[in-house]
Amino acid sequence: MIRILKTKHPLFAAHIFLLFVLCAVFYAPANIYAAPEVQTTSAGLISKVAPGELLPISVKLLNFGNGSKVDVSISYKITDMEGKAIYSAEETVAVETTATFIKTIQIPFGTIPGQYIAESSIAYNNQVAPATAQFSFTVEKKIFGLFQSDFYLYGGILILVSIIVGVISHFWIKRRRTMRFAPEDYSDIPHGERVFYELISDTVMGMRAQVGESALDIAKQIDGLVIDEKTGRVLKLTAKPSKVVAELVSGYEKALGKKVSFSFRNS
Amino acid sequence: MNTQKTILVVEDEKSLRDVIVDILKIKNFNTLEAKNGIEGVEMALGKHPDLILLDLIMPEMDGMTALKKIREDAWGEKVPVIILTNLSATDEQLVEDMVTHKPIYYLIKSDWNLRDVVAKIEKILETQNAI
Repeated sequence: MIRILKTKHPLFAAHIFLLFVLCAVFYAPANIYAAPEVQTTSAGLISKVAPGELLPISVKLLNFGNGSKVDVSISYKITDMEGKAIYSAEETVAVETTATFIKTIQIPFGTIPGQYIAESSIAYNNQVAPATAQFSFTVEKKIFGLFQSDFYLYGGILILVSIIVGVISHFWIKRRRTMRFAPEDYSDIPHGERVFYELISDTVMGMRAQVGESALDIAKQIDGLVIDEKTGRVLKLTAKPSKVVAELVSGYEKALGKKVSFSFRNS
Repeated sequence: MNTQKTILVVEDEKSLRDVIVDILKIKNFNTLEAKNGIEGVEMALGKHPDLILLDLIMPEMDGMTALKKIREDAWGEKVPVIILTNLSATDEQLVEDMVTHKPIYYLIKSDWNLRDVVAKIEKILETQNAI
């Protein structure tokens, strides 16, 4: 009697291992030995393989022979779901009671993606019918080292995450810009001076939009101008307002080489 | 855009004045031209354009003096003015005058292309129409 078992080990997702335990029993009516045992060894399982890649199969033969080596013929075959063989091979191994080895089968390069069956069978001595074991696996093309389905899955996730990050960034930048470049309100400043506050504030804001934070640094150095270091809001003018404006414009021209245009708010 | 709007272009440099007028005409504006401040004031007070595009450095009468005179007039007090100049406002007196006579924009010629200037003109007039 021959028994064949296959087990899957859940811990090794990256590889397929088929545990293929073949237990051969001498067909002898007067057998004086212990009943044959079936042992399994754990093996990882891979469910997908790409054309051209190797499919590993773990094979274990148990309880063959009677203390002396015997030859066991093993046939390997890979067929599609309609039974059409895309690969077949045969080898003979010498077994002394037990034998464990990994057989690797190269999936032909031209294999059409789909579901396939790997079948192994042994023929031994007076065995009437060969013992067989089989398992199914998927052949799938790879794109940039990833299986096609994984590539699309990860690609989809990446695109989705990118879109989400992009949208969040867009609104965050827009909000930040809106906050930074929103005109400051100076309605609490007396009318005569307010126009200067607005003019300076809008000028600093406009230059910040053009050249960045250096516009704020230059403004901070203008005598008579006290501004909020973060927002650029004009806090106080301690010198003649028109002088502050002229010096600010002059400062930007000297430091940045840029002339300053103005726009006046409606009042 | 309202095709009936009239823009007065006060600019001493003829080539630039011609280009500005051409672009404004393409945009279906009526145009008036003046080559210095004196002509600009006369034309502004006589024709009452909807907007004045004003250079500052000009012969006979500079742009800021012309603006002062226009602002003294009851009509001219509120006419929208865009100063288009290469003169930086690094002079205190210029800043004082600018704040006092309030053009809507003080634009540095080298920083602005004329199409953007015309876009600003259109926006100002649209806003005025809305009011």
